[in-house]
Amino acid sequence: MVTESDTESIQVEIVPSRFLMPASAQKLLNEIYGNGGLIRIMIHGPNLPRSVPYGPGRGAPIDENRDLLIEVGGQAFELCVKVGRIRLELESAKFYDGLKAACERALPISFQIRRGKFFHTRQTITDYAKFGKVEDTRILGLIDPRAKKDRLAILSEERVTIDDEER
Amino acid sequence: MAYKPQFYPGSTSVGINRRKHMSGNLEKLRDIPEADVTAIMGHRAPGADYSSTHPPLKEMGEPDCPVRQLVAPTAGAAAGDRVRYSQWTDSMYFAPSTPYWRSYWGAINCKGCDPGTLSGRQIIEARERDIEAYTKAQYDSEMTDVALCSMRGCTVHGHSLRLEENGMQFDMLARTEMGKDGNVYAVKDQVGIPLDKKVNLGKPMTEAEAKKRTTIFRADGVPMCGAVGARKYDEAVEALHHMWELRSKWGFRPE
Repeated sequence: MVTESDTESIQVEIVPSRFLMPASAQKLLNEIYGNGGLIRIMIHGPNLPRSVPYGPGRGAPIDENRDLLIEVGGQAFELCVKVGRIRLELESAKFYDGLKAACERALPISFQIRRGKFFHTRQTITDYAKFGKVEDTRILGLIDPRAKKDRLAILSEERVTIDDEER
Repeated sequence: MAYKPQFYPGSTSVGINRRKHMSGNLEKLRDIPEADVTAIMGHRAPGADYSSTHPPLKEMGEPDCPVRQLVAPTAGAAAGDRVRYSQWTDSMYFAPSTPYWRSYWGAINCKGCDPGTLSGRQIIEARERDIEAYTKAQYDSEMTDVALCSMRGCTVHGHSLRLEENGMQFDMLARTEMGKDGNVYAVKDQVGIPLDKKVNLGKPMTEAEAKKRTTIFRADGVPMCGAVGARKYDEAVEALHHMWELRSKWGFRPE
């Protein structure tokens, strides 16, 4: 029997039973952030375009999808997707129970939480095409391969970088 | 005894609802003004003239044809209206109707229409004043729940996604919204162009009500086989097996 190490990082996926409103997403992300032990985190869900992408109404603005600012850990950034799934990596398994409790506190609806392997470890061709040789492997698995450009918000201690295009 | 059409087998609530949809014997739940339905469809401004593709039939001088004498034209065809469409997206989370059942409803009950069934959306094309009447009938009846069904001319995805937190079907273009008063409002037409004024579509169904009126068989709702553990499957499954067998053997003549 293999004994699980509690010092290795673990990956977790949280799937709420419904799509989250920006306010609920902010609350949940802040609870997750407050729990600590976070190495990286990805939010995933359907795209929220800022204008009608095709059809007779093409180009008409969608004001509901603009300026969806949320503040996480004191830094504000703009939501580009409807939050439906959160994948994250924790420093060790000891933060897992706290994370589960954080989700229970923050989410008004039922959710699934599971451990597994959700981020890839080797560079894909898409990663290579977008970034060249990736030095910091933590960004692997955080990129939407179908987006025209990389869609990635990097929250660091110093500043917020959002690389996104108007679509 | 007069012939009574039989539409769909089975004694489950879903079977009964499917029969109701096909027969057109539907309960009216709301009354959305015709002008508002026209505005949401977005083909013409409410009150504007109908655009036409040919002169009214009376002025055209039709050929002497027994079929034309037998079949009375619809109002739109008689006036020579353009063909327009309305397209619906119904959520998999117990929406009252589904693309197939909207099509059955259209093909059986609506004269001069062309229903198109796709996996996540359903379109009906007809002459403009006819399609306006058919769309209003769909909006007003129990075929539609304003939170789980919406009219989407483009960017239709949402039927197979999870619902939003407030119980609405996800819409990338935010064509409908849940008001603070609990009513659902249409704020854009079916292709995403903002309306001049919001249209109040009324309150959505509760989850229990939607499950009661749905035409969707689901393992976590009403399964197609009927009551779980019953000695005999529901008639709907037997009929399906029967049709499947005939379809598989179609044209097969071992000699």
